[in-house]
Amino acid sequence: MTSVASDPRSAPTKVAARAVNASKIYGSGEAEVRALDGISVEFADCAFTAIMGPSGSGKSTLLHCLAGLDRVTGGQIFLGDVEMSSANEKQLTLIRRDRIGFVFQAFNLIPTLDAEENITLPMALAGRKPDKEWFDTVVRTVGLADRLHHRPSELSGGQQQRVAVARALASKPDLIFADEPTGNLDSHAGAEILGFMRRAVDDFRQTIVMVTHDPVAASYADRVVFLADGKIVDEMLDPTADLVLDRLKNFGE
Amino acid sequence: MLKLTLKGLFAHKLRFALTALAVMLGVSFLSGTLVLTDTIKRTFDELFADVNKGTDAYVRSSEKLDSHLGTIRPRIPASLISEIAKSEGVARQHGSPVAQGQLQLSAQLVGKSGEPVGDPGQGAPTLGFIWDDFRQLSPWKLDTGRAPRADDEVVIDKGSADKTGYKVGDKVQILTQVAPAKYRVVGIAKFGRADSPGGASVTLFTREQAQTIARARNQFDGIAVGGQAGVSQADLVKRIRSSIDLPKIQVITGAELTKENQNEIQKSLSFFNTFLLIFALVALFVSCFIIFNTFSIVVAQRTKEMALLRAIGASGRQVMSSVLGESLVVGFLASVAGLGVGIVLAGGLKALLGSFGIDIPAGGTVLNTRTVVVALLVGTVVTVASAIAPSLRASVVPPIAAMRASALEGTESPSLLSGLSRSTKIILGVLVAIFVPGGVIILLIAWLSRKVSWLGRVALGLVVLTLGAAAILVGLFGGRIALVGVGAVVVFVGIALLGPVIARRTSRLLGSKPVAMFVLFAGALMTLAFGLATVASLVQSALALFGGKIGTALALAAAAAAAAVLAAACVNLVVAARAAFRVEGRLGTQNAERNPNRTASTAAALMIGVALVALITILASSTKASIGATIDKAFRADYIVAPKAGGFGGSGFSPELATAVKALPEIQTATGLRFGTAELDGKSKFLISADPKALNELFDLQPANTTAFENLGPDQIAVSKRIAKEKGWKVGDTVKARFPNGGTTDLTVAAKFGVGQQGGLSDYFVSLDTFSRNYPEQFDVQVYAKLKPGVSLAAGKLAMDRVVKPYANAKVEDQAGFKAKQEQSIDQFVNLIYALLFLAVIIAGIGIANTLALSIVERTREIGLLRAVGMTRSQLKSTIRWEAVIIALLGTVLGLVIGLVFGWAIVRALSDQGINKFAPPGAQLVVIVLIAALLAVLFAYFPARRAARLDVLKAISTE
Repeated sequence: MTSVASDPRSAPTKVAARAVNASKIYGSGEAEVRALDGISVEFADCAFTAIMGPSGSGKSTLLHCLAGLDRVTGGQIFLGDVEMSSANEKQLTLIRRDRIGFVFQAFNLIPTLDAEENITLPMALAGRKPDKEWFDTVVRTVGLADRLHHRPSELSGGQQQRVAVARALASKPDLIFADEPTGNLDSHAGAEILGFMRRAVDDFRQTIVMVTHDPVAASYADRVVFLADGKIVDEMLDPTADLVLDRLKNFGE
Repeated sequence: MLKLTLKGLFAHKLRFALTALAVMLGVSFLSGTLVLTDTIKRTFDELFADVNKGTDAYVRSSEKLDSHLGTIRPRIPASLISEIAKSEGVARQHGSPVAQGQLQLSAQLVGKSGEPVGDPGQGAPTLGFIWDDFRQLSPWKLDTGRAPRADDEVVIDKGSADKTGYKVGDKVQILTQVAPAKYRVVGIAKFGRADSPGGASVTLFTREQAQTIARARNQFDGIAVGGQAGVSQADLVKRIRSSIDLPKIQVITGAELTKENQNEIQKSLSFFNTFLLIFALVALFVSCFIIFNTFSIVVAQRTKEMALLRAIGASGRQVMSSVLGESLVVGFLASVAGLGVGIVLAGGLKALLGSFGIDIPAGGTVLNTRTVVVALLVGTVVTVASAIAPSLRASVVPPIAAMRASALEGTESPSLLSGLSRSTKIILGVLVAIFVPGGVIILLIAWLSRKVSWLGRVALGLVVLTLGAAAILVGLFGGRIALVGVGAVVVFVGIALLGPVIARRTSRLLGSKPVAMFVLFAGALMTLAFGLATVASLVQSALALFGGKIGTALALAAAAAAAAVLAAACVNLVVAARAAFRVEGRLGTQNAERNPNRTASTAAALMIGVALVALITILASSTKASIGATIDKAFRADYIVAPKAGGFGGSGFSPELATAVKALPEIQTATGLRFGTAELDGKSKFLISADPKALNELFDLQPANTTAFENLGPDQIAVSKRIAKEKGWKVGDTVKARFPNGGTTDLTVAAKFGVGQQGGLSDYFVSLDTFSRNYPEQFDVQVYAKLKPGVSLAAGKLAMDRVVKPYANAKVEDQAGFKAKQEQSIDQFVNLIYALLFLAVIIAGIGIANTLALSIVERTREIGLLRAVGMTRSQLKSTIRWEAVIIALLGTVLGLVIGLVFGWAIVRALSDQGINKFAPPGAQLVVIVLIAALLAVLFAYFPARRAARLDVLKAISTE
C-alpha cells in the first residue's frame, strides 16, 4: 500500500519535512534491496512523530534521508521548501548544522568537550553565538544547570542523553531527528528524556521525528507512522502503548 | 596463533604499510651507506690493483709518519736505481733495468676559462707524477699524442681533458709549489680502462721536471721494479734486499704495496662510513619511536579482540607472541624493501655528497653479503624490539575487557608497569635507587598513592634523563665521544618517558591563541613568500621556454610546482591556525591532549631530528661567531689571499706568491701561512709556520715575549701558553719532533704565545726555514698582507689582484670577505648535515601521519557525529591539521630545548678548541619551528583527507 498519510491537522499547519515518492535502492539485479519503496509522507510543524516498524522495514533509512545524512535514489525529500535531494555535500552539511537537531541512540557527545561545549557545538561550528536566554531555558528544562562543565565520561547515560537533547534544541532547528534516543537507557531515564521531548514540542513548538522500537516511547508522540518493507503500512494518531503494541503484533501475520 | 598473526596483518594493511615505511626508510639509509662505501672501496681496490699491476717489488724508506693525510715517508736517493739494477731477476727493457723512480706532487691544471680543475681541499685530488718510461710498470695508456720528452711537455688524464676541452698541442697553465708555468699538452692518457684514476685530475711530467718541481734532485718517493718472467715477487724482493743492504730502506712486493694502499684507503673511508652510518642510525632510532607508537595504538585498539582471545583460552604469552609475530613479519618485509631501496639510494647519496663538492669515485654497485645480513637483521631486530613493550601490554589485557562496552572510547590500554608483578616493581625500584636515591622515594609515594604508572614514569624518566645527561657531560669533558653518543640516546629515551607528562600540559599551551596567532602570521608570510616564489619561477620558466632552453624551463617549472605545493601547505597551515580560535581547532588541541602517550611518542620522533638540527645550527653559529670574533680582534692584515674553494687540506699556493706580494711597493708586510703535521712529543700534531715577525704584525698572537717570538730560529718552536701549561714546558726545554722528511729533530721551546687553537690557528708554531727543511712540499694555505700607510685599499687590492692573477686557485679577500668565506665553508658542511638529517625528519613526519591515521580510525564515530551535527569537511581537516601542528610543535620545542642544552654543553667543552662563543641563532631556530609546523600540515594531508571522506552514516554506526 502506498498511501499519502494525511494528518487531519496538516491542512492549517505548515509541513516541516516531507518525502515525495522517495525510494532508496541498494545493489542491483538479483541482489537489489529496496530500503525505501516509493514513500510519500509529511511531517507537520510543531508535532512529535514516531516512526515504527520491524527491523529492515526502512525506518532508519527514511530518517537518515530526511535528516540529510543519506540520499534517496529516487523521488524527493523536502525540508520546509528546500529540496534536499538536489543539495550537494557541503549544502547538506550546512543544513544539518543550521536546521536540524540530532539525538542518536548512543555516542551522542564528543568526549573531549564538556556538556556546555557539546550543547553549543553546532552553533560554534557555524561561528554563531548561542542565544543566552534560550540556552538557559533549554538547560533548565533538561536539568543540566549544575553539570555544564562535566565531560561526557563524568555523566550518567541518562545525563548524556539529556545533553544530546539539549544540543538538538539549542540551535532552534526546524526539525529534530531522534534515532532510538532511549534505546540504551533504563525505563526511568528513558521516560525523562521522552518527557523533555514532549515538552519541547508542547512548550517550545519544536518538531520531532523519532525512530523507535518501543511502544511506550511511541506513546509520547502525536502520531505514529508504521513502516514495513520500505513502505508505509499504517499510521495512528494519539497513540497509546497498548494500541501500538497491538498494531505491531499484527505485523507478524 | 600464527594464522591469527597473519590475518591481523592483512586486515590492517594501511597502518602496517606506514610502519613498514618508517622501517624501510631507516634500513634503506643503512644499506645505502653500506653499498656506497663498499662500492667506493672496490673502486679503489681495483684502482690500486691497476696502479701496481706491473710492480713486482717496491723500494722505499722504512721510516714513516702517520698524519691526517695518511702515511708519509721520507724520500730515498735516486742512485738506488743503479744498485737495484745489479740484482738478478730485474726485468730489462731495451737493455735498461725496469726500475722506475716515482714522485707524487701537487699539480693543479687551470682550465681554459681560468678556473682551477678539481678541488684538492674536498674532493678530486689534483696530482702530478712522473711519466713512466716502462710500459710494464705504467697503468697509463696514451689515448692520443705521445709521451713528454721536454721539461715543458706534459701528458694529462683523459677525464681532465674531456672536462676542460684541452687537446694535444694546447698550452696549459699548471699550479705547483714552484711558480705557475705554462706547459704544452703532448698526450692524453687513459688510466687502465678508466678516463682518470678515481676522479683525480692528473698531470704526468718528465722525470727531470717532476724532480725540479718537487725540489727532489736525485730523489724519489720510491722505486717500482718489474721482475723477469718466472721470478716470483718474493724472490725478486729477496734478491734486491741482498744487493742493497742499507738502513732505513725497505723492499716489499707489489702485492704487499697494493694491500697497503687498499688498507690505507679503507682507513680513510672508515671515517666517511662512520659519518654516514651515524645518520642512518639516527633514522633507525627515529623509526623505533614510530614502530613503538604504531604497535601501542594498535594494541589499544584491539583490546577487545585480545580480551576475547584471552576469554576463549589463549594465554597471555600467546597474545604477546601474536603481536611480536606481526612485528617480525612487518620488520622483515620492510627490511627487504629497505635493502632494495638502499641500493638505489646509494646512488642518491653519492649525488648528494657530490652536490656538496665531495666527489666520490664509484663505479657499479657492490652488494656484499654483509650488507644484506646487516640490513635484514638490523631492520627486523629494531622492529621486534620496538614492539616488545606494546606486546607486553597486550599480554596483560584481562579477559573481562572483552565485556566492556567500548574499548576505543578514550580508554588507555593497561599500563606496562601495572602489568609487572609486584616483585618486579620492587626490583625496578631498587635498581633505580642505586642511581638516584630520589627515585625510590618517588616510587614509594607512587605505590602508596596507587598512581604507579604515572609517577613511576616520572621517576623513571627523570632517572634516565639524569643518567643520560651525566654520561654526556662526562663524555664531553672527559673527551670520550662514544659516551656522548650513548648519553644522547639515553637522554632522548628519558625525555620520551617524561613526554606524556609534558605533552598533556604543553599541548594546551601550544594550542593557545598566542601560538596560533604566531603560526597564523608566520604562515601568512610564508604563503606570500612561496606564492611569490611560485610566480617568479613560473615567469622565469616561461622566459626560458621562449629562450629555447627547455631543460632550464622544465627545472624552473618543477621549482614552481614545489613552491606551489609549499604555498598550498602554508595556506592550510594558516587555515588550521585560524581554526585554533574556533571550536574545530580546540577539538584538535584536545585530541592532542587526550592521549598524551601517543602524542608524546609521536612528537619524540620529531624531537630527535629537530634536536640534532638545532644542535648543528647552534654549533655552526657559535663557531662562526667565535671565528668572527677572532678575526675582528686579532686580525691586522688588510688583505688575505685564500683558496677560492675554501678549506685547507691539500690546497694552497706556491711560496712564490707570498714573495711577489711582499715585493709590491704598496705592501708593508706580508707572509704566507703553512700548515703541516708533525709528531711532537710522540703525538701527531698540527702545526703552522710563517715569518714570525710578519705574522705577529698581521695577526695578534699575543706572544709572551715579542722579541723571542719574532726572532724564532731554526730548530726552535713556539707553543701556546695553554699547551705549555698542560705539558709543563718552559722556555729552553727540548721537544722531540719527527717530520715527514725523516729523522728525529730536537726542537727547543723558544717562545710562548696567547692565541693558539682558540684563535683558529694552531698551538704549535715553527719558522719557515724549519718548515721548509722538514716538509717535502711547500704550500702557503693563506697569505696575509698589510698595506703601507697612505696606500688606499682600492689601490692595494688592484696591485695584489695583478700579482695573484696567475694563481687561478687564489683569491684576494678583505677581512669581511675572509670572514664570509670561513662562514661559507661552515655553512656548506652544515647544509650537508641538514640533508642527511632530512630523512630522520621525514620518518618523524610519517610518524605523525601514522598516528593521525590510527587515531582517526579510533575516532570514526566521533568524526561521524561531528559531521552529522554540521562540521564541514574543511573544518574537519583543520581539526586534524591543527592536531598535527601541535604534535609537531611539541616535538620541535622539546628538540630545541635539548639542542640548546647540548649545544651549550658542547660549546663549553670545546672552548679550548677555539669555539668560545655560545651564539644560538634566534631567527634560524624560529624557522625550524615553522618548517616543522609546515611539515606537519603536509604529512597530515592524507589522514585529513581520509577523515573528511568518511561516509557520515557509516561512521556514526561504526561499533
